[in-house]
Amino acid sequence: MVQILDIMDKALNGKPMSETDYQLKVFAPKVQEKVREHGIKFDRENPIPQDSSMADEVFEAGLELLLDTGAFCTSSGRTITFTEQEVRESLRRAPSKLYFGEGQDRKALVARTVGDKTPPWCLLGAGGGPCSSDRSFLTLVEGYAEIPETNAITTPALTRVGGMRVRPASPLEVLAAQRNAVLAREACNRAGRQGIPIMNSLATAESDIAFAAALHPKFGMRDSDGYMICCMDPMKVDFARLNKAAVALSLGGHIGMCFGPLLGGYAGGPEGTAVSNVAHHMMGVLTYQSSWLLPFTIHLRYVASSPRDMLWVISMMGQAISRNTHLLSLNLNYTTAGPCTPMCLFETSASVTAAVTAGLSIESLGVATNKHEDRTTPVEPRISAEVGHAVAGMKLADANELVKGLLKKYESKLNEPPLGKSLYECWDGEARKPTKEYHKVIMRYKRDMRDLGVDLRPEA
Amino acid sequence: MSADEKILKDLQKAVLGYDSKAAASAAKAAIAAKVDPLMAIEKGLVPAIEKVGDQFEKMEIYLPELMLAGDAMKSALALLLPLIPKGSKGAKATVVMGTVQGDVHEIGKNIVASMLMAGGFNVVDLGVDVKTTTFVDEAERNSARIIGASALMASTIGSQKDIIDYLVASGKRKKHAVLVGGGPTTKEWSKEIGADGCGMTAVEAVKLANQISKRR
Repeated sequence: MVQILDIMDKALNGKPMSETDYQLKVFAPKVQEKVREHGIKFDRENPIPQDSSMADEVFEAGLELLLDTGAFCTSSGRTITFTEQEVRESLRRAPSKLYFGEGQDRKALVARTVGDKTPPWCLLGAGGGPCSSDRSFLTLVEGYAEIPETNAITTPALTRVGGMRVRPASPLEVLAAQRNAVLAREACNRAGRQGIPIMNSLATAESDIAFAAALHPKFGMRDSDGYMICCMDPMKVDFARLNKAAVALSLGGHIGMCFGPLLGGYAGGPEGTAVSNVAHHMMGVLTYQSSWLLPFTIHLRYVASSPRDMLWVISMMGQAISRNTHLLSLNLNYTTAGPCTPMCLFETSASVTAAVTAGLSIESLGVATNKHEDRTTPVEPRISAEVGHAVAGMKLADANELVKGLLKKYESKLNEPPLGKSLYECWDGEARKPTKEYHKVIMRYKRDMRDLGVDLRPEA
Repeated sequence: MSADEKILKDLQKAVLGYDSKAAASAAKAAIAAKVDPLMAIEKGLVPAIEKVGDQFEKMEIYLPELMLAGDAMKSALALLLPLIPKGSKGAKATVVMGTVQGDVHEIGKNIVASMLMAGGFNVVDLGVDVKTTTFVDEAERNSARIIGASALMASTIGSQKDIIDYLVASGKRKKHAVLVGGGPTTKEWSKEIGADGCGMTAVEAVKLANQISKRR
């Protein structure tokens, strides 16, 4: 079993090379070589692929990619390579079931299969989206905790503390990360869901020092929460991220590596991006000892997961992983459009359908590319979860038709998506529900979904 | 085909083939044949790199090809640019750029750097996790008209403001235009911190850099 000391040994003694050479001369050509060798082809007409043998090829290609290139440590300037035995052993030993949360909210995240009727694990919230104030943070997280399908919460990230904008790796970031922990727990307490796990711990902590500082028990984090640690595209880590892993492991926390190979980035087009995603899954299990994984591939041009080729990537890599492993994998999705627009709801519906029918669970979501402060509400993750539950058990062929129907509603607008409204323009924090205007948008959206064959929960 | 035309073709071919060595040897051939270096850049390298930029925009090629073409362009420029007198019409501004302190994300920065290079700018890439003072010191050292500061995280864009504040406090603000960009950066943020522009896309960043370059 590969452990953190083994990773450090590999990181200190691996093959030396420049980061640029790793990316451009090793990783990028090797991905394309694997795509060619395994005959992987993107099919524009079918955003939800139904060729299981190709999904298996994607899996094998991803495995070979990791074995051929290894990961890369930017701190030591060396590759971190693994043997096939190490990879296969780590996949065999990875858990197929994990418990998160406390008391009534303690639930099991389980591995799913293609077309599985088991509802997806719903990690709901803002996916680390920027949030300007304690008030907005509490309003959002209380809203997320009230969603019936919420299994765990993904908080926003605070951008200010004490009236000052956060600076990385500074006392401001340390204080903001601690406040992130305290406020998240407080919001769940206010909603009466004291035991609900926070699984993007800690969104506000980009640096290792802020991460470690906010994990002191007095700020309320628990070992039953989920500890999310990102890697850099493609398959790159550094000592700061490995520090986070060492700290989370020392707490007994479950680490989830999040990774976002860009479609159009180092892995190239949709085929290479699917292969790269598979390799990242395995790299996460080995490098961070991740017991759950969080792919969040986004499109280089649209910064979202809803374009046609992105849906294909989500489904293809999801099928590859769920057909060939029992890994616990949750897909995080981004929309281009903002709250209070039908487009935003259609976009998240398409991405969630692609993920859930392929055997993945979901983290949902980053709204309007997740870049605008306070431009998200509890409605969008709630709708994502309703869709996730509704499409669980759906066959890939039916999911393909549904997604094609959804694409017709937004694909032509991806270049200029509506930004919609900000939090308090379309969410009533006191009444804890959307404004009348947003309510109408949701009603219309649900009618359209019914026309597409998906019956969602009637709106109150 | 004349000897000059062949050299221009070789320069183009090297960039379109993502081949740094071939680009350098074509540039050496241009110098040996006494081809006007400005013509070698404008009629050899620029049309090729513009084509690459266009293909990238349409997603006909991807990031690795864009960066390799940028490297090829850079290898040839390293030989040709010193031969062009300063201030002549072909020489565009120098841009120092990097990802801000505390942020190690480099893809967005790499795309913009390659596209700026494609646009004929002299780009000094400072890498990632670049200190505020390093941006300013390197801008001074390279006589850069433009500082490009990229940030991907909501927790790191504050460092973009620090660069501008530092320039103001040290009396150097008028010497260096500051362009910001990256995931959480918006036009509102750019205005709030007093930046000279915000490139929401790489193409927009190049357009802004061109406007600033012309204002010199």
